[in-house]
Amino acid sequence: MKRASSISLRQSLEYALAGSVVTGLLTLLCFKLGLGLSVAGPAYLLTVVLQSLTGDFLSAALVSCLAAGCLDYFFVEPLFTFRITRLSDLFALLSFLVTALVITQLVSRLRIEIRFTKAQKERLDHLYQLSQQLLRLDPDTSEERFLEPFHRLFGVTAITLFDGQTGETRIAGGSRNRLAERTRDAYIAGLDSYDGAAGVSVRCLQLGSKVSGAIGFESLEDPEETVGPLAALTSAHFEKMRAFRTASAASAAAQAEVYRSAILDALAHEFKTPLATILAAAGGIREAGALGPEQSEMADTVESEAERLGRLTSRLLRVARLDREEIRPRIEVIDADLVVRHMADQYSRRFPDREIAVAHRGQEQEESADPELLRLAVSQLLDNACKYSPPGSKVCIALDHNPDGFVIEVSNSGSSIPASEQRLIFERFYRGSGTKQHTAGTGLGLYVARKIALAHSGSLYLVPPEVNEAANGAANEFANEAANGHAVTFRLKIPSPQPRPDHVVTTH
Amino acid sequence: MSSLPTSVLVVDDEAALRKALRTSLVASGFTVEEARSGEEALEAVRHQAFDLVLLDINMPGLDGFDACKRIRSVSPQSGIVMVTVKDFEEDKVRALEAGADDYVTKPFRLRELTARLRAVLRRIQPPADPETVRAGDLELDLKRRILLRNRQEVHLAPKEFDLLAFMMQHMDAPLRHVTLLHSIWGPEYGNELEYLRAYVRILRKKIEKNPAEPEYILTEPWLGYRFRNPSDPDSSPLPTDD
Repeated sequence: MKRASSISLRQSLEYALAGSVVTGLLTLLCFKLGLGLSVAGPAYLLTVVLQSLTGDFLSAALVSCLAAGCLDYFFVEPLFTFRITRLSDLFALLSFLVTALVITQLVSRLRIEIRFTKAQKERLDHLYQLSQQLLRLDPDTSEERFLEPFHRLFGVTAITLFDGQTGETRIAGGSRNRLAERTRDAYIAGLDSYDGAAGVSVRCLQLGSKVSGAIGFESLEDPEETVGPLAALTSAHFEKMRAFRTASAASAAAQAEVYRSAILDALAHEFKTPLATILAAAGGIREAGALGPEQSEMADTVESEAERLGRLTSRLLRVARLDREEIRPRIEVIDADLVVRHMADQYSRRFPDREIAVAHRGQEQEESADPELLRLAVSQLLDNACKYSPPGSKVCIALDHNPDGFVIEVSNSGSSIPASEQRLIFERFYRGSGTKQHTAGTGLGLYVARKIALAHSGSLYLVPPEVNEAANGAANEFANEAANGHAVTFRLKIPSPQPRPDHVVTTH
Repeated sequence: MSSLPTSVLVVDDEAALRKALRTSLVASGFTVEEARSGEEALEAVRHQAFDLVLLDINMPGLDGFDACKRIRSVSPQSGIVMVTVKDFEEDKVRALEAGADDYVTKPFRLRELTARLRAVLRRIQPPADPETVRAGDLELDLKRRILLRNRQEVHLAPKEFDLLAFMMQHMDAPLRHVTLLHSIWGPEYGNELEYLRAYVRILRKKIEKNPAEPEYILTEPWLGYRFRNPSDPDSSPLPTDD
């Protein structure tokens, strides 16, 4: 694209020389034909006008002065001298000169205007073409292809976009002048920058009153005119690409969930079918009869262990499902005391060398929760308490009814959770640093248990030792250990659901 | 049970499980045929009438649900027990909707399976005297609408009686909430779980030794209820979980 006022001095002088030759020829012609001032004057004026149409203001002005001189020398009495004796000749010459200069001035200004308008139109054309091509580009186009129209239409050799939110830099093309760094610096300073020598222009991208990022161009033609619209176009396109990438990442994640679910189903099938075979075979051996008491006991063991493995598999798969799925509890009226007693019984059987104590506090009442999910959460807490406490130690589970709902506390002594880990234990896949190699677990238990609590609008947290010490009931059992940091209490709070019109059930 | 041994068609794509089930069920007094797929099962029921079909859900080709519907149409008199691996309600509901009489979840003990099979068989061969139903220490006189517990009359309101009678007449069958609501309250009911829970609570107070640990009316998580006869060794075992 050409600059609007880009005619060099040399070109001007060349134009002036050509104009002078024409003026000389005209002088010769008029003089030979013996034409007077009245004819020669308009002829010179015509030459000046033509000159200003082809050349620029400087050359046209020079030719005007030359023409005025020739008029004076060859056509004004006394001839062959620059002297003027008559006042009317002086006026005629002066008006010629002024008219010529004014015309020259007007015409060259007009030409500049036209040239400027043409350049403007060309630029708009290029911007339009660029935006068309950007629109046609697929959102996942490579950076190289993205640069191509910029390069062709505006001479750009590199483009950089700095994302202020992520701190990520995207670059297309190769920069020789540290474009990426300059773009980031401009974002940090919050100021547009232009380095004419390096050909680098950087614009900050505004989002409302906030600067959201910066965009940089290298070797951009006419930067002061084009950088604004180019910045707007480019950032719009990058925005589109980013939205596309986010959307494809989301759809990939959704797809991964589908696969995950299919894998869990397949796993359930793969694990449970052999267990079903073992149970069927063990049952068959017993049915076939003729077993001595010892063999019969062994068949029992096979059955009960296979069954236990089946339950563990179910629980693991259920936890794996709840891990990613949104939990929607099916709230029903439950007997929380019964749930707690059942779970305590179960764990007493599973961990015969732990003493599991149950405490009930508050006025016994019906509570509301999803029974399946509640059992899963409580079993997770009991499981941890038993696994992480030494054999022979005591594990307490306490249920506290209160008007706003109920609280279940599970405590064990003989272990502790370092302060640095207390925030982390509820994270997915987190397993304590002290976790022994042989301690079974997925690192999902507490995460899922808390998810269950939150789905009930409740909470699950680790009771801090100082509170633990002051508490009553279950926690109190371990007050001394708690004070020494050798007891752990988890508190699960499930609030009553929001009051709603009660169904009045009458029997009739 | 009839004098002829009960015939069971075991449908599973897993050869080891089919073999173990065949040996064990034969030892338990059943006669057993095998099918490796839903298609083979359909072929088998076309040629022979089975008392019971034990049908796996997860099979390549024709899946358990479709196979169940087709077997139902070919052989409506057979009892169908579906085998699921998932203890989620959807599979159980789908199994019942496809026409299965009951389901078992893998892995299951042989005794649990034979109990289910016998209970289904009993249900599809209704007793000659339907006027009284007995379970444990309960005796329900359907004609006079009286419940006796240990020979003592227990007062029941009409809806309580209807609910208990329906459950006892479908002893050992899994009964969905919606089925119970439709049958007792009418077809326009279906979502009023609160009603059902309230009535079950009342019934448990009247018939259970310890309403908190029911022996008769068992809760089938997320699905509904199942009435069981505690004095019948073949009746559903009490749920255990981990």
